[in-house]
Amino acid sequence: MPLTRSKPKTKKHLSDNDYQMEQSLISSANLQAFFETLLQSGRIVVAPVLKQSGKVFFQPVQAYSEVATDYIQTAFSAKSVVFPKVETLFSFVRKDGEITLTDSLNRIPETVVWGLRPCDAAGFDYLTEFFLRENPDSYFKTRKEHTTLITFGCKEADNACFCTSVGLNPGNTTGSDILMTFMNEECYVEIMTEKGQQAVALAPSLFKASEVRQKDAFLAKPATRFSIDEIKDKIKHAYASAEWKQVSLGCFSCGACAFACPTCTCFDIQDEGTQDKGVRLRCWDACGFGMFTRHSSGHNPKNNQTERRRQRLMHKFNYSVDNLGIVSCVGCGRCIRVCPAHLNIFENILSVTKD
Amino acid sequence: MEVKNSYIPYQVRIADKTEEAPMVQTYRLEFVNPSDATAFSFKAGQFAEYGVFGEGESTFCIASPPTREGYVECTFRSSGRVTKALANCEINDIIGFRGPFGNTFPIEQWYGKNIVIITGGIGLPPLRCVIWNILDQREKFGNLTIYYGAKSVADLVYKKELQEWKERNDVNLYLTVDPGGETPDWKDHIGFVPTILEQNLPSSHNAIAIVAGPPILIKLGMPILGKCGFANNTIYTTLENRMKCGVGKCGHCTVGKTYVCKDGPVFTYEEILNMPPEY
Repeated sequence: MPLTRSKPKTKKHLSDNDYQMEQSLISSANLQAFFETLLQSGRIVVAPVLKQSGKVFFQPVQAYSEVATDYIQTAFSAKSVVFPKVETLFSFVRKDGEITLTDSLNRIPETVVWGLRPCDAAGFDYLTEFFLRENPDSYFKTRKEHTTLITFGCKEADNACFCTSVGLNPGNTTGSDILMTFMNEECYVEIMTEKGQQAVALAPSLFKASEVRQKDAFLAKPATRFSIDEIKDKIKHAYASAEWKQVSLGCFSCGACAFACPTCTCFDIQDEGTQDKGVRLRCWDACGFGMFTRHSSGHNPKNNQTERRRQRLMHKFNYSVDNLGIVSCVGCGRCIRVCPAHLNIFENILSVTKD
Repeated sequence: MEVKNSYIPYQVRIADKTEEAPMVQTYRLEFVNPSDATAFSFKAGQFAEYGVFGEGESTFCIASPPTREGYVECTFRSSGRVTKALANCEINDIIGFRGPFGNTFPIEQWYGKNIVIITGGIGLPPLRCVIWNILDQREKFGNLTIYYGAKSVADLVYKKELQEWKERNDVNLYLTVDPGGETPDWKDHIGFVPTILEQNLPSSHNAIAIVAGPPILIKLGMPILGKCGFANNTIYTTLENRMKCGVGKCGHCTVGKTYVCKDGPVFTYEEILNMPPEY
């Protein structure tokens, strides 16, 4: 029986499929063997790695020993697997007055993301809607098709976590190909998609069939900061709120929130090289940067940090609801943890929607 | 789901260059690949990304009308890395072209109507496309009235065409320059475009109006037309926010929840009034 999804939906998501989900179990001891099977299958495996800074980042790994297991949340999301920080759109060469363009799309490898959180997987669901619903993006599409998401439910949450405030929870399956939930010495495995099934099928002997289990007792209970239905309603009238100034006062325009965010999609397009040989790149950009909206005349429609912070929050809680039917904040808390000015998105949202 | 890669540009050859004003040029572009030329079509109001390989891309409207086939024209001012590199290109050089993007002016709905055009500076290029579209099928439209101004006489673009429109008796052209921008032999109006418009109000009878130019002209011009009796859904504009992708993804051009690149660039005053003033 499929799990009921926690997210209210107005229409079928592109990442939905007709796959009948399955449950199984893997012993915690066998997880390493499964991981190694994935590595041996030739897939690139991207997993959380503890850095000297004490922060955990996703990166390609070669061995299970590199994988961090004790973390609440990675510093950056895993979105770079499907939407890289810098991505080559094509390369070009000019020779004897003729220009040859080479598309980079045929070099995208099969990749597994291991150890992301359910909020991040839900972020992938949003990214899929955003990039593919209208004017589908061929780069995202190709990468997404070659990516399998193996998510781990959260045992712990911190004060920045607020997934339950945006309609998600530490055990939601949205966006995941496989969701693992630690239950004492074993791991409950929810196989959500055909891609997930293909990964399990690489080492079927490691898994045993399971009945549907209740996960709640094994999952974190992050504080719920607000009712999303109430916020979705109130924020429709928040554009003119006097509170925007207060909630943006500390902002340095550094863009860290957007770079850490699993659902921020803004990008720039830049060329590198010479006019004879080079590449066209797309690179992450951020609506918090002053240059982001500046016209060549110097006129800037979003001329100060108040207008730019409002854009970011209105986009997440209002514009993307209007455009795609989804709140594009998954409550991962990264922007709160990373902000040098200690701006807090859920507190800000509460401020601008208060009566 | 087969997906077209919208980031791979067409290759176009610069067939002609015209110096319009200081730092402002018009390029006539022809497709290098004949099959691209056959496949390509556009409508008045649409825009494109023009790129110099190795430098980047810039966004301009298509300034030539769809009634003239076989080429597209764009008019641009040199201001940054890409436009300077473009300006340095020579005839026969190959550049990149992505488009057409965005929605269009509903030209067919304007058959039989009087057309009022209000524009300034290099706001004229997107409307030059409309003007020639109308003049090429002149019998289908009523009166054509154009208000156009620039900072100075030198800054007026399409000077030859302005002269031609002035001489035609089926075009009513109000030409103006900002105070101080006139030359000793200047015989037309002196004053900002909204001032000249207020002194010479157009009739809203069976008419539609289009306002394009710097945001201040749009913000001042549209309400004047409203006072003349133009209904909000008969006043049009074209917005030109900063853009990178052209397909509603990069996020630069948004006005509230609206993406100028895919939901616009053409909007009615009625739509503008329902959007935050982020343009």
